[in-house]
Amino acid sequence: MSDETQRRILVVDDEADVREYLSTALEDAGFAVQTAADGLEALQIVTQNPPDLISLDLVMPRHSGAKFYRDLQKDKQFSKIPVLIVTGHARDDMGRADFDEMTMSGPGIYLEKPVHPDSYVAAVRQLLGIEAPQPQQHPDDLRKELEKALSGADRQALQRALDALRPK
Amino acid sequence: MLITSQPELERVLGRTLFEQVPFNVAIIDRDFRVLAANAHFEEYFGDWQNRHCYEVYKGSCQRCARCQAELTFVDGRVRVSDETGVDRHGRTCHYVVHLAPLRDDDGEVKYIIEMTTDLTETRSWQREYDLFFERVPCLAFVIDRNFHIVRANEKFRETFGEPEGRFCFEVCKRRKSRCRDCGAALTFADGAEHVSNQVGVHRDGSPAYYVATSTPLGRGGESVAHVIEMAVDVTQVYRLQAELRRTHDFYESLIRNSPAAILALEPSGDTRIINPTARALLEWKSEQPPNDAQLREMLPRAFFEVERGRGELLELPEGSLRSAEGHDIPIGFSAIDLMSHGRQLGRGVFMQDLREIKKLEQEKLEVERLAAVGQTVAGLAHTIKNLLMGLEGGMYMVDTGLRRGDATRIANGWGVLQRNFEKTTALVKDFLNFAKGRLPELQPTDPVALARAIVNLYIEAARRQGVELVFEAAPNVSPAPLDPGGIEACLTNLLSNAIDAATLRENGGGTVVLRTKDEGDELVFEVVDNGCGMDWDVKGRVFTTFFTTKGGKGTGLGLLTTRKIVLEHGGCIEVESTPGQGSTFRVRLPRKRLQAIAEKIAGAASPEGVAQS
Repeated sequence: MSDETQRRILVVDDEADVREYLSTALEDAGFAVQTAADGLEALQIVTQNPPDLISLDLVMPRHSGAKFYRDLQKDKQFSKIPVLIVTGHARDDMGRADFDEMTMSGPGIYLEKPVHPDSYVAAVRQLLGIEAPQPQQHPDDLRKELEKALSGADRQALQRALDALRPK
Repeated sequence: MLITSQPELERVLGRTLFEQVPFNVAIIDRDFRVLAANAHFEEYFGDWQNRHCYEVYKGSCQRCARCQAELTFVDGRVRVSDETGVDRHGRTCHYVVHLAPLRDDDGEVKYIIEMTTDLTETRSWQREYDLFFERVPCLAFVIDRNFHIVRANEKFRETFGEPEGRFCFEVCKRRKSRCRDCGAALTFADGAEHVSNQVGVHRDGSPAYYVATSTPLGRGGESVAHVIEMAVDVTQVYRLQAELRRTHDFYESLIRNSPAAILALEPSGDTRIINPTARALLEWKSEQPPNDAQLREMLPRAFFEVERGRGELLELPEGSLRSAEGHDIPIGFSAIDLMSHGRQLGRGVFMQDLREIKKLEQEKLEVERLAAVGQTVAGLAHTIKNLLMGLEGGMYMVDTGLRRGDATRIANGWGVLQRNFEKTTALVKDFLNFAKGRLPELQPTDPVALARAIVNLYIEAARRQGVELVFEAAPNVSPAPLDPGGIEACLTNLLSNAIDAATLRENGGGTVVLRTKDEGDELVFEVVDNGCGMDWDVKGRVFTTFFTTKGGKGTGLGLLTTRKIVLEHGGCIEVESTPGQGSTFRVRLPRKRLQAIAEKIAGAASPEGVAQS
């Protein structure tokens, strides 16, 4: 856990709801999180106190993610900060050009909206080179999960699973 | 009286002849004294008793220089002489005098008998004839039966040069032989007058066009000895005619081959010229061009309602006509009074068939619509991705909040879900608005009141965001047929964009102005902000489907819907923007088009256009 607590993530998105969602997910995973609503705000934070990773939306008013990224690449120190792009535009006309440019230089990875919290946190860890922690789940949780799986499962599939498990 | 002897008979006869002969008769002696004269003489020359002949004839007191009588006294020969004298009233007179000697028994000439005939009138005719012949403003010449020119006047010599007794065909046409269509030959043959058109050679070598009249000059007898040719030089007229014909042909071919339909109407309103394009457009099959009443059935009504004779151009960019076959055809129409020196010659009508253009417009719209479908699918997917992102976030927070018993997190998550649900609703509404292919519902609307109401609605919300919203209306903006709902949606959209842009201003002090005014024939709404402005790239894409710079906040349909509504009103929307200084969105609605669309909608509502009573 100590790995996560030492790492500070900057979440940049113009939508408050998305900022709240992503920062909550990261905090739940144990990261320290700062947020910015646009590129200018983000640049200010990076200049004052460079984060370990930046989670970046591309299309934002005022100062877009692409512009912000270009600003980062101009600075030797900042250009090394890994960037996780979280966008809905990666594959449409609006985002593609910017996106292609951004993935060509500097460390980075992209996720396409909508992102599942687990895959989001996993991507952050991967970029930071942190091993995913072994799930330490409460026995009650495990039982509940099993019950849930069983109640929704196909009878025939269960039978086949049992057959496979039985020693012959 | 009884005549009994031969001498008696001779005396009486002589006496009678002396008095009755239709001449002025006088007898003079060798002293040039008048011895006797008849009554005619006295009547013509006056008193003669005891006077000399030169006193009587000439009113002179000396003998004449070339006295003919003196010669006859000497040689006894008969003489005839033209003389000019003075009559009894002292007026100059012309006469011919015949002098015959009277001999005595020795054969000596003792007396002369002078018989004079008055020539004054004949002379004066002669002079008049000469003057007339020379000065008449046409060519005149006389030819004999051999076609030699006997006489030619001044005008003739000016045109063809000196005739010098040559043949007429030599002089007039530089030919070696007689002309085939010789009018003079006919006149020689039948003694009648003949008129013919001739082309000769002017003395400078250029062609001379003239109309020649051959008239016989009778000298008595059966045959015609001479012919007088009178010719009017029509070279100038001919040149003008040729020029006129060329000009006429030029214009006619221009009109005939014009891709525009052209009609020229008489002041009565009947058609004078109809070109093939106009025939095709009007589907006019009859040989006879349409008359006023028939045109009134076909051409736009406005054409017959304008005041005529003012030379003004009437233009109906989007008119329509009803063809002879009963088809309604969209046309571009213009008409002008054809004037000459302030007098109306008629009217000119120019029409352009807009069917092809309308069809292309429709097809272009269709193509754009198809392209939009593609964009829409991609854009819609993106918008949905954003919504799902919000829903994913909301669910995560509600989910983890429940698990942890964290009420705040649950509330926050619930809020996120709610907002995204609202966004979904808004998207669906916008999308339906955009996809609707309806006709706008135009009704007479006061644009100023409409705009003011919208500003009042948003002024408070804008202030809360630190933006001042200002309304400006030009005086005398008159009502227009508008779809109030549609225009309200447009202005609301533009205002909300402008307010958003103004909040992004670096140092606050954002201002948004909504202006309503007339510019020429156009009703104009203008939304000006001093916000962030747009760079070139963004400006080019503001009207494309689902384009948004607002991230998750915009659906990307606002401006597109706005543009669609403006287009449905026959207008256009313009953008001016400078990054960092602000943007201006300008909606231009041509009033004529609004009127036309309103009429079209009214027409569509009652397809026959005639109410059944």
